Amino acid sequence: MPNRNKPSLVTARCNAGRFAVTFPLLTAALYLATGASTQAQAPLKDRLKGSPFRIAYECYVNDNWEIFVMNADGSQPVNLTSTPKEHEHYPQVSPDGTMICFSVDVGEGRDAVRSLYVMDSDGRNRKKLADNAREPFWRPDSKVIGFLPQEYSKFNVIDYYTKGMRFYELATGRNEPHPNSTNLHHLYSPSFAPNGKWIVSTVHAGMGYDHAILAIEANGNKIINLKIPGCRACVSPDGKQLAWGSGDHQVVLAPIDLESETPSVGQWRLRILDKTNETYHVDWSPDSRTVSLSRGPASKGDPSKSGTFQSACEIVGVYAAGWNLCAVSAEREGDVDLNSASEAEFTMLTANGFSNKESAWFLPKRKESGQ
Amino acid sequence: MIRRFGWRASLALVALLTSCGKSRPDSQSGTKPEGASGNSKAEPSAPVEVVTSSGIEMVALPGGEFLMGSDRGNADEAPPHKVRISAFLIDRFEVTHEMFAKAQLPNPSHWQDNPRKPVERVRWRDAKQYCNERSLLEKLKPCYNEKTPDFDCDYASSGYRLPTEAEWEYACRAGTEAPYDFGPADKLRQFAWFADNATDKTHIVGEKKSNRWDVFDLYGNVSEWCEDVYSLTYYKESPPLDPTGPPNPGKDVKRVMRGGSWKASADMCRATLRQGERTGDSDACFFTDYCGFRCVRRATPEELQQLRNKLRRIAP
Repeated sequence: MPNRNKPSLVTARCNAGRFAVTFPLLTAALYLATGASTQAQAPLKDRLKGSPFRIAYECYVNDNWEIFVMNADGSQPVNLTSTPKEHEHYPQVSPDGTMICFSVDVGEGRDAVRSLYVMDSDGRNRKKLADNAREPFWRPDSKVIGFLPQEYSKFNVIDYYTKGMRFYELATGRNEPHPNSTNLHHLYSPSFAPNGKWIVSTVHAGMGYDHAILAIEANGNKIINLKIPGCRACVSPDGKQLAWGSGDHQVVLAPIDLESETPSVGQWRLRILDKTNETYHVDWSPDSRTVSLSRGPASKGDPSKSGTFQSACEIVGVYAAGWNLCAVSAEREGDVDLNSASEAEFTMLTANGFSNKESAWFLPKRKESGQ
Repeated sequence: MIRRFGWRASLALVALLTSCGKSRPDSQSGTKPEGASGNSKAEPSAPVEVVTSSGIEMVALPGGEFLMGSDRGNADEAPPHKVRISAFLIDRFEVTHEMFAKAQLPNPSHWQDNPRKPVERVRWRDAKQYCNERSLLEKLKPCYNEKTPDFDCDYASSGYRLPTEAEWEYACRAGTEAPYDFGPADKLRQFAWFADNATDKTHIVGEKKSNRWDVFDLYGNVSEWCEDVYSLTYYKESPPLDPTGPPNPGKDVKRVMRGGSWKASADMCRATLRQGERTGDSDACFFTDYCGFRCVRRATPEELQQLRNKLRRIAP
């Protein structure tokens, strides 16, 4: 039970609106005001070229998992980690754009230890948060990081190898469980709704569910089955849409109501298809106009590579040969087939095929002193 | 250690201490266990039940020869052919949720209401990982090389592995040549959870009668992964001694799955029926909810001698 004398890490008021408007935000406002939407027929690559947004992602280079950041159009990738003995992946950027939390594997095979870290969005001030933990996610005020403890102490690469949920408060180092933590089992890919009331997460073979995407009350015991097939759901920054992988070869966007006491998902409005490749890890641009996703052939990894494991290649720590990141316009409706999509709808962001996965958009911002 | 298993252990004990050679009184003519001629150096001619150091019940089966396959089943069950199997140990029960948890592996099962139920929705590679974890728990040398794409098997290692399909069928037929070791199909309800009686779910292991060699749930509950690559025509080329299946063709590989399940018809529960199943290794979520497994381990002559000695020590 949370200590009643202290404010809960999940009930603390979300302060997203109080962040100082700084230069990047002005740039973003200018970007929007100059009619990004009116240029919808221009190639997506060109539209993204003028974007102030950046994208963090994981990539396997020089026998090592690293976290890179690139411009929204895929240009100027920069390795933020460059740590030959540590494997960084699963970057999640704080909603205010100042920090990145991520997972780090040290060791090989069953002796590996997965830990969680946070650093500034330029790669400085790296700090460990927890061991034997995975899949961090940010509270909307960027002050608290949620994460999923490992199910057992021994390492396993499978994504749903989790039990419970905890919250780490950056300012104090307090680390406390979700009020319903003891009943949360085999969750993966959690993320906060922008209103801070719900956490959307996939569950597999746990909590009485065969497999489901759930809305979990952030500060209570309520759990709502969103009754949509698939996994790895992500709420748009405006809180009005949900994107998720509804199968190995398609990503779906649909309206979601997260203000009600019983969140629900409407009819899908955009379906992104790829019959040739698998498509995973959808993420929204900060203006909710574009989504990025990972894309590549199905495989079960390459165990000869250091720091990698065998399993389905969309899983964190599994090498996905030939996988790249792409962006798709989220402004249209209907179907987009990535093998025949127009340049206005779709563009590749990476091309090296070095297991590029888990993209996370952000509007970069420097931490203010004392933050 | 050897555990006392009532009349079954007594039968084994009698067989061991008298001639070390006769097959179990209830066995039929299909199997010729080593030592059947009365050779005192031969392995035990009757199964011996043991509990491993991590507390798992197994049955040590004597090596022997049997007629594998059938010319009265599906095309892939033919031709029937003689196969000689070396002695080995096999789990009495399918691997359960509590066994999976002891190995600190995430349980993928659909039915998680009882820890004594068999795990299902297990990918082929996850079953092999369990084998390795259990080997390490018992300080045995793991059979599987986890740095190879298929977790290549070292059959000479002391650890646990999946059975070959020849070993599985040898254990299931338990010295008989009939489709079911217990006799006519109308008795299947006593020995298996299958589509006619399982009410669309798995059940606690060991609730039905065991086969003649005291192994449970071979005919039903969950189907069981084997080590072999599945090939429709393998029986036409299978070697006569300890066959391990055809080589991996590299593409569209299926692995052998044996035994009926909660959703199988009676015909699908026959001892000789073969299934080829995709391994699910490139799927994050494997939804085949009748896929389970059990483990085997090789029995060396030294271990068999130790078993005999231990059995003598606990004899009244």
